[in-house]
Amino acid sequence: MNTLTAYILRRLGQFVFVIFTGVTLAFLITNLSPVDPVEQSLTQLTSFGASDPRAVELMRESLAELYGLQGNLFEQYVNFWGRVLRADFGPSLSAFPTPVITLIANAAPWTIGLLVTSILITFVLGNLIGALAGYFRRSRFLKVLGMVIMTINPIPHYFIGLILLIFLGFVFPIFPISGGAQMNRPSGFDLGYVLSVLYHGFLPALSLVLAGLGGWFIGMRSLVSNVVTDDHVLYAELAGVKGRKIFSQYVARNAMLPQMTGLAMQLGQIFGGTVIVEFLFNYPGMGRLLIQGIYRGDYSLVLGVTTISIFAVAFAVLLIDILYPLIDPRVKLG
Amino acid sequence: MSAVLEIDDVSKRFRSGGLLSARTVEAVKNVSFTLEADRPEVFAIVGQSGSGKSTLANMILGSEMPSAGRIRVHGEDITDARSARQRIDFMRRVQPIFQNPFEAFNPLTRIDSYLFSTARRFRDATGAKAQEALADEALQLVGLTIEEVRGRYSHELSGGQLQRIAVARALIPQPDLIVADEPVSMVDASLRMSIVNLFKDLRDRLGVTIVYITHDLATAYYIADRLIIMKSGEIVEQGPAKAVLDDPQHPYSRALRDAILPPDPRRAHEIIAG
Repeated sequence: MNTLTAYILRRLGQFVFVIFTGVTLAFLITNLSPVDPVEQSLTQLTSFGASDPRAVELMRESLAELYGLQGNLFEQYVNFWGRVLRADFGPSLSAFPTPVITLIANAAPWTIGLLVTSILITFVLGNLIGALAGYFRRSRFLKVLGMVIMTINPIPHYFIGLILLIFLGFVFPIFPISGGAQMNRPSGFDLGYVLSVLYHGFLPALSLVLAGLGGWFIGMRSLVSNVVTDDHVLYAELAGVKGRKIFSQYVARNAMLPQMTGLAMQLGQIFGGTVIVEFLFNYPGMGRLLIQGIYRGDYSLVLGVTTISIFAVAFAVLLIDILYPLIDPRVKLG
Repeated sequence: MSAVLEIDDVSKRFRSGGLLSARTVEAVKNVSFTLEADRPEVFAIVGQSGSGKSTLANMILGSEMPSAGRIRVHGEDITDARSARQRIDFMRRVQPIFQNPFEAFNPLTRIDSYLFSTARRFRDATGAKAQEALADEALQLVGLTIEEVRGRYSHELSGGQLQRIAVARALIPQPDLIVADEPVSMVDASLRMSIVNLFKDLRDRLGVTIVYITHDLATAYYIADRLIIMKSGEIVEQGPAKAVLDDPQHPYSRALRDAILPPDPRRAHEIIAG
């Protein structure tokens, strides 16, 4: 397993490089923002009445420390890395003095729950239908189903969300139009709460599933129609291997491989949230948090969400790269 | 009942194009020939791309149905052998070898387990020992051993090795007919000869009849006992390989023969310059 260790080490090196570059860029770009969080906080705090200039000066210093803004750019940068490693992004400006990490920790489960569920459902459905459509090319039912999926595909997910919201939320008020769960219900792992979460998440998830289906469908259908003509599939057919086995073991299994990378990339995007869908359904996830942060000039909140997203994407890609040799023997480790 | 393979006035038409521009292409037109069981031979089907030779091969293997005519293997009409059991029985007697050795095996399946499952499926070999013995026996016929392929995947082997393994797989069921569709065109030039000789060897030592499909007259001349030359789905010339190629009658066969450049560079240049 020497080559495996070397491969993982090299891959880890890449991972560190990506994180380093990403976090540096995020730091520099947010630093270019004209919003000065210290002055903003000071304005908020002193807007209620005149304060002693010396007290203001003291406050400015302690705020600069809170936001990690003391010293020149390089000192701030080094300081920032220390905070990243401690997962401390300082207090949120817009929800002062709640720490950014608390806001993220509250929002993350909603986004992860919504997106993991809808991405997995989309992945399984899209690939299954796509594979069947590529394999049974003469089936009329699959042709019609394919056409329906292709018709929905170019519609943006927020538009689908809006239509669902209007029809199933307002015209026929079957589903709730806002929030992640029933307002006055205490959160916990009881059946009522879980059902409430599923009920509230249904429309956002449905709009994501409908919007994402087409991509997987088209990709898988064309991958499968390439594999189907391979000689080893023809041989299996000639040799009387059962159709179900040919489909799963020969065709779908070979065509699945590139799709796995796509899945990992999508899962990595989760932490950015699906901004518009969350905004539309007023879903309490990270996407809505990010939008709030941007609108309110919440420097530390935006930086916190961005940094966590960078970690998540890099980690997801690292994970799939390490797992890939296990599912595809052709990926050489050397 | 003495014929391994009887092709009786077989035609194949394909419909292509959309609803409005539909047209039929006749890929194979009224082809007939018979391969006798008591005289194993290498029978070459020669023609350029689009001549219908691969369609003919697919019909012999049963992956395409003829539009007209009959194909009989050992006197049995294969055109209605559709069930899995009938397919397995058929494949015990007739085995294919394909053009691209890299596509012949599922890239996610180990080659040895492929051979073992062939032994299980067509020779009813149960138990790892029996399967391995049959696989090794077949591999030795093509100059390999089970040790060389154990645990390997297709991407770990060369094209020449894979094509040998494909031949070994075809030999496990002990067929009396092998249909080889351009088996050396994607193998390194330096290894072609060894595979071509392998087919001769199978005919001589095991008495297997081989339908050898190729566009390459030189190989056909070297390996075939008899051949047919096809053009646009029709047989334009047939007979003993040496006789046909030494003295081709049909203008197409002559053109095919003359298209091969002689090894002498001066003569080759004369032909190119016209």
